[in-house]
Amino acid sequence: MAAAKTRSSSFSGNLSSAASSLGPGLKCGPNGTVLLSSGIPDLDKILGGGFPLGSLVMVMEDAEAPHHMLLLRNFMSQGLVHSQPLLYASPARDPRGFLGTLPSPAASKDDKSRGPEPDQLQEKGLRIAWQYKKYFGENQLNFDGQRDGKHKYSNEFNLRNPLERHFINGQRVDCFSIQDSPDLSILQDRCTTFLSQLPRNDGSISCAGRIAIQSFCAPQCVYSNMEWEMLSFIRSLKNMVQSSNSVAIITFPPSLLSPSFCKRWQHMADTLLSVKAIQDDDKELAQLLTGYQDMIGFLNVHKVARINTQVPVILEATTFSIKLQKRRYLILECLNQAPVDGSSGTSYGTSGSCSSSSKTGNLDF
Amino acid sequence: MAKSICIALREGALEGELAPALTIKDSIASPFGLQVFDHVLSQLFSSILAGKSPSQGLILVSFSRSPSFYLELLKNKGINVASSDKRIHILDCYNDPLGWKDQIVEISSTVTVFREVKHMDKLFNSIIELGRGLVGGGKIRFSIAIDSVDEMLRRASVSSVARLLSNLRSHEQISSIFWLLHSDLHKARVTAVLEYLSSMVASLEPSHQLANGQRGDLENFALIKHNSKKGKFHVRFKKRNGRVHVMSEEVHMEQSGINFTPLTSEGAINQGLVPKVQFNLQLSEKERIDKANVVLPFEHQGDNGKPLQIYDGRRSLVDSKHERAVAVENVQTKEESESESESDMQRGEIIYYRDSDDEMPDSDEDPDDDLDI
Repeated sequence: MAAAKTRSSSFSGNLSSAASSLGPGLKCGPNGTVLLSSGIPDLDKILGGGFPLGSLVMVMEDAEAPHHMLLLRNFMSQGLVHSQPLLYASPARDPRGFLGTLPSPAASKDDKSRGPEPDQLQEKGLRIAWQYKKYFGENQLNFDGQRDGKHKYSNEFNLRNPLERHFINGQRVDCFSIQDSPDLSILQDRCTTFLSQLPRNDGSISCAGRIAIQSFCAPQCVYSNMEWEMLSFIRSLKNMVQSSNSVAIITFPPSLLSPSFCKRWQHMADTLLSVKAIQDDDKELAQLLTGYQDMIGFLNVHKVARINTQVPVILEATTFSIKLQKRRYLILECLNQAPVDGSSGTSYGTSGSCSSSSKTGNLDF
Repeated sequence: MAKSICIALREGALEGELAPALTIKDSIASPFGLQVFDHVLSQLFSSILAGKSPSQGLILVSFSRSPSFYLELLKNKGINVASSDKRIHILDCYNDPLGWKDQIVEISSTVTVFREVKHMDKLFNSIIELGRGLVGGGKIRFSIAIDSVDEMLRRASVSSVARLLSNLRSHEQISSIFWLLHSDLHKARVTAVLEYLSSMVASLEPSHQLANGQRGDLENFALIKHNSKKGKFHVRFKKRNGRVHVMSEEVHMEQSGINFTPLTSEGAINQGLVPKVQFNLQLSEKERIDKANVVLPFEHQGDNGKPLQIYDGRRSLVDSKHERAVAVENVQTKEESESESESDMQRGEIIYYRDSDDEMPDSDEDPDDDLDI
C-alpha cells in the first residue's frame, strides 16, 4: 500500500503534553496539526494519518458513479462513532434518510486479513513475489491497535450493517436539505452556528466536529447557477473551518460547473480527491491491471493538505482502485500492472507505450 | 441496447432506490430521437398492459407532438387505447402550453390539457395527481414518459427542470421515467445536467462523421444520405455496483419503424486489446515453418556419425551462404541426415568461427569454471 512518507523535521515540538488532552478520535499529526480519521483506514494511510483539523476536503464526483457517497458514509460514521458533532447538508428532500445507510464499525473479530492465507506461506521452494508491494500492507495492520481504550482512532466500516440507532440519536447531528434554499445564506448560517460551538483555543481539544456537504452544485438546487455566490460560500466556509476544530468535506460534480469555476473550486481545497467510475467489461483495462474484476472505481489524490508547513507531500502513487472486500469493507489499493503478454505482440511499427487507450492516460503508476 | 433499456425501465425501481431514468439524446446529424422515443414508449406500454411490470400505468407528458399522434401510434402498434384507458393518460402540453386559448376541445378522456408550462411545480403536481388517478394511491407505481425536455427548458430554468426530474425520480410511486433531448439545442452544461440526473443515457450518433461539417460538398451527400437512414446507438448504463456498462448497436430507419441490430465489426471493437510492445514477437507462417526446419548444431554429431567439420575461419569462405536469415539456415543433424542427404548442398550452413586452434572440439568443460570469483 502506498503510505505517504512525510519527512519529519528535527524541530519537532514537545507534543507529548498535548497528546493526553485530545478527545476520542483525534491524534497528533506532523507539524503541530491534529488529525481525525476519514473513516477509511487506507485513505488515512495515504494522506499521512487522516484529515488535519481546520482543513477543507473537496471530492470531485463522477456523474456516472456514486462512489463519493461511500467516502461520505465512512466519514460520517467515523464521526458518529467518536461522538463528534456532525452537520450534513444534501440536495435530497430527506437527508435524514441518508443517515440510515451509514455503515457500522466492523467487529474486531471480523478483522479482514489481507495477503496470502497461512497455508500458502508454508510452501517450500522458490516463491516469486510478483507485485511485492502488495505484501507490505500486512505488517502495518497492527499499528492501529496502539491507541488503546475503547476508542480506536480509525475503524473499518462494514457497509452491509447499518449504524446502530443510538449513535445517531441523542447526538449533535444536524441534517438539512439545500434543495429549496433560494440562496446560500441559510447554509451559511447553519455552518456558522455549528462551528461556533467548536472554537479553536490553545488548550486541549475535547471534541472536533465534522461538516459534510454532498453534491454542492447539484442542478436541482436553486442557487446552482449562482457560481460566484457558491465560490464565496466555499471561501467563507474555509475561513471558518480554519479557525475552528473541525473538518469540512464538500463533494461536487465538476462536469456541471464551468471549467474556470471548477479550477477555482479545486484551488480552494486543502485536500483534493476525485472518484472515477470504471467501465464494465473493459477488456483493455482488464488486461492492463490485475484485480480489475473486483474494482468498483478509482480514487485519485490530487492534493494533500499542507498545514503549518511548506514541505509538499509527495505520494508514491496518486491513483488507487476502490474495492469492496468481502462486499463490506472499503479498501483502496495501488494499481498493479498486469503481466504483459508478449506472445501476441503487434507489428513492428507501433508505438511503445503500454497503455493504449486514452481512458487510461490519466493513470499514474 | 434497446432491449436492455426497455427491460430496465420495465423493472423499475427497487425499494428505497431512485427510479431508473433514461435520457434519449440525439442531434441533427442523427435525428432519430423521436423514433427511438416512440419505440421505447410502445415497448414499455405493452409490458405494462401485459402485466410484466410492477408499474401499473403510464403518464405521457407531450410537449412536442399532439396527443392524437400518440393515440394513433399506439393504435398502429396494435394497442387498443380505448380498452386500456385506465392505464395511460396523456398530459397535453402541446395544444395550449401558455394558456392563450379560451376554450379547448376535449380530444378524449385520456388526455388532460395543461396550460402552465412555466411553472414546474404545478407540472409536478399535475403529473402526480394524474398518476394517482390512474393507479390509485398507496404503493402502486406508475411510469412517466416526457416527450421532450427541450420544450420544458425553453420556458423554465435548468434548475427547476432538474428539480422536477429529481423529485419525480425520488417519488415513491414512480417506477421509471424517460425523456428525450435534442442535444444540439442546448449548451453543453444542460446536457451534462440531464445526464447527471439519469441512470441510463442513450445517444444516437451518425455512422459516418461528415468531413469538416460541410454539408454542401458532393462527397458528403452520400454520407448524409447514409446517415439519414442509419446510425449508431450507444447506451451508458450506471449500474448499481457503481460500474458503467457501455453498449452499442446499429439503428436502421425503415417503413415499419425502427430496427436495432448488433454492431458490425467495422471499427466498433477496440483494436489493440493488449499493450503494444516495441518488437515483433509474432512469427509469420513462413517463419514458423522455417523455425521448425532448423537443425540445431552440435559439434559431436555430423553426417552419419562422422565428426562434423566445423569451419574455423581458415578455409575458403562459403560466402553465398552468409546472407541468409538465421531462420532459413539449416544444419544437418544425425536424425534428419538419412532422409535428406541429397539436399545437403542446397541447405544453408552455420558459419562458426573458432576462437583459437587450441580449443578442443566441444571439450565438455564449462568454460566458466575458469572464472575466479
